[in-house]
Amino acid sequence: MITNEFTTMKIQIEGKTRHRARKIPVLLWLAVAVAMAPTVYADGTAATSPARFKSLDQEAQTLKQDVMELNRDLLALEEELLFPASTQVAVFVSMDVGALFELDSDEIKLDDKVVAHYLYTQREIEALRRGGVQRLYLGNLRTGKHELVAFFTGKGPHDRDYRRGATVEFEKQTDPKYIELQIKDVTRNLQPEFSVKEWQ
Amino acid sequence: MFERPPTSRNRQTARRAALCACALLAAGGTAGASRGESQQVKDPHYGEVLFYFYQQQYFSAITSLLTSQQLQRINHHRDEAELLLGGMYLSYGLHREAGRIFQRLIDAGAPPELRDRAWFYLAKLRYQRGYLTEAEDAIGRIRDALPGELEEERQLLQAQLLMARQDYRDAAVVLGRMHGRSAWAQYGRYNLGVALIKAGDSAGGSALLEEIGRQPAVGEELKSLKDKANVALAYTLLRDDAPAPAQAHLERVRLDGLLSNKALLGLGWAYSAQNQYERSLVPWTELHKRPAIDPAVQESLLALPYALGHLGAYQQSLRQYEEAINVYSNEMERLDDSIASIRDGKMIEDVLQHDPVNEMGWFWRMQNLPDAPESRYLAHLMAGHDFQEALKSYRDLRFLAQNLDHWANTIGVYDDMLATRRQAYAQRLPAVVQEERARDLTALAARRDRYAAELARIENADDVMALANDKERQLQARLDKVETTLARLGNREDVTQARDKYRLLHGLLYWDISSDYRPRLWQAKKELKEIDRELAQTRERQEALRRAQVDAPRSFEGYAARIAQLRGRVAGLQSRVQAMSSAHARYLEDLAVAELTTQKERLAAYLTQARFAVAQMYDEASNAGREVKQ
Repeated sequence: MITNEFTTMKIQIEGKTRHRARKIPVLLWLAVAVAMAPTVYADGTAATSPARFKSLDQEAQTLKQDVMELNRDLLALEEELLFPASTQVAVFVSMDVGALFELDSDEIKLDDKVVAHYLYTQREIEALRRGGVQRLYLGNLRTGKHELVAFFTGKGPHDRDYRRGATVEFEKQTDPKYIELQIKDVTRNLQPEFSVKEWQ
Repeated sequence: MFERPPTSRNRQTARRAALCACALLAAGGTAGASRGESQQVKDPHYGEVLFYFYQQQYFSAITSLLTSQQLQRINHHRDEAELLLGGMYLSYGLHREAGRIFQRLIDAGAPPELRDRAWFYLAKLRYQRGYLTEAEDAIGRIRDALPGELEEERQLLQAQLLMARQDYRDAAVVLGRMHGRSAWAQYGRYNLGVALIKAGDSAGGSALLEEIGRQPAVGEELKSLKDKANVALAYTLLRDDAPAPAQAHLERVRLDGLLSNKALLGLGWAYSAQNQYERSLVPWTELHKRPAIDPAVQESLLALPYALGHLGAYQQSLRQYEEAINVYSNEMERLDDSIASIRDGKMIEDVLQHDPVNEMGWFWRMQNLPDAPESRYLAHLMAGHDFQEALKSYRDLRFLAQNLDHWANTIGVYDDMLATRRQAYAQRLPAVVQEERARDLTALAARRDRYAAELARIENADDVMALANDKERQLQARLDKVETTLARLGNREDVTQARDKYRLLHGLLYWDISSDYRPRLWQAKKELKEIDRELAQTRERQEALRRAQVDAPRSFEGYAARIAQLRGRVAGLQSRVQAMSSAHARYLEDLAVAELTTQKERLAAYLTQARFAVAQMYDEASNAGREVKQ
């Protein structure tokens, strides 16, 4: 507290000559008093008025919206152009709970050719655990029969290194094909399970 | 602007708010809960949106969601997706669009908890952006108590909105309902106390500040608030010519707190007002040692010689005034330099120097003051609400500019891709057409019909032997030869045994084939179906090829037109973003320059007073000299 610190402090004053009161700058401290007090929203000057910020804010909102819609249209074009529905195949990864398996990386082979290999960050693992689904691969395949093999690497129960695979044979037709690789905890035997789901 | 909980608390709250605002949907659905608690993802692309969302990559989440909505592949999550979008729009300051989405969902019968949360976050953002009427409208739509601390925050927000239109009575009623010990309630009371004093109700305001200033405080936040209350109260008392009680309040302020300078200055004035000039030297001398950038320190440079003058130490007083003049002049020069530097656009560069351009959003806050000379003059402004809001918007625009630059560079790839596809189409088409033509579909269909007719005949006639396999046909051929030979030999006795053997073998062969007749017939029909399927596929392929010959060129033209149109939009938006960034930068610069100009004007006033005091002292000395001579 201020009082404890200063009650015993002395300031040296040079020889006093005479006491004659001069004009006191009485309003000095008012500047600070006003400065420290809170103020409600004021009109401000023209240069910094809330109306000017509001106008900027309105325009910025419209602009942000327009850029997001542009991104939407560009992404849709990209997908339609590079991955037409007739040949599109997408592979997703999801995780249910994920307590029995700490995913480190995965790899996908399509028709015996490695098409994706992915190393996960902790943030991505958390996102998967919370219900997010990662689109691990987006590509093109001809219609007909194909084989997908996925390998998952990480830590299993008791912190042991774990590598498991899952295989699916599927038929690619003329509509987009979505395949989800699911990592699930099986509480019955306290082991992780890796399964494949074909979306219709 | 009203007092807010300090930054650390703001950050925590912002993090919580980020989770809550964007996970408004926790009230209505999927996100915000663990997988175990959440609804099942019924469209993988909605799960993909959540994947970005949970990593706080809100821009990617929004664009992914908008794309999937456009491609109609998250139809099972239509409402949740809208809610998530509304929350994320809110996180980007798009309160107008977020409001429209929330209103639409509420009109469609969203659950009350969701409705109330949505309006709360909308009210909060509108208040922060200065849309007070719209914020009041939003907060007025909340019907039930919000969960946990959110309710206290809501009450504080409501009180702040009432105070903003000087309705202190209703603000006091709202704050009175808040739990007495919570930090939100304390901040609310502090703001109300100060507002009441400003509105002329000193007694009402002082009572509130007195309560905060006296009660024991735990934690830095509440200790700091206690200091603020004591300082505010003390200055009010000083203004009302009550220095003794003001002194008591100032002595409660911590010496190492953020308000210690103001408290020391006020304490000096409280002593002076009681004619205790010597005592007033103690806090002012302490202030004198502190950095001259602080307004309280600047004022103490004048206050100290003023007290010394009262004590008759004129030489010392004169030296102090001269030192003050020197300090003020130097500070004013520095302020001029800082204003020039700001006008050169260096301030914003410095502020965002270490900020990665990887996301944008409402919850972002500047973490550290930039390492620049003007920062020390602008710390208060930069921590303030107006500057932060405009800075966030500027930062968002910077992110958008980068995003548009990326597209401007990428869109050329689409042209290349389209050209490649056109070329590949042109190269492959003749070969494919030729190959398809080589498949004489009419001849194939005729062969299929002959096969089907033969199968029908076999079935109708029960022609078992027609379904014999190759080996059986060879055997049959051999038996036919034997039969021919036997016929040529006539009825000779010596071939009777051979004839019997022939009959036995023929019977045996017939038996073998006829016992397998039904399965063979079924197999033959299956093969017919397979032929039909393959013929249908060939027809489809030929039809697709025919369509493709018509559609592909049109599709190429369509893509080319879309690419051209999108390229134009990218360029147009790049210009708009650049213009808007410049407008924001100018606004921020104007805010900073206005702040520095105010500081300069204050220093100019101090400088005038110091010069006046010096002149007065010389006058008095000169007059005293003349008096002595006379």
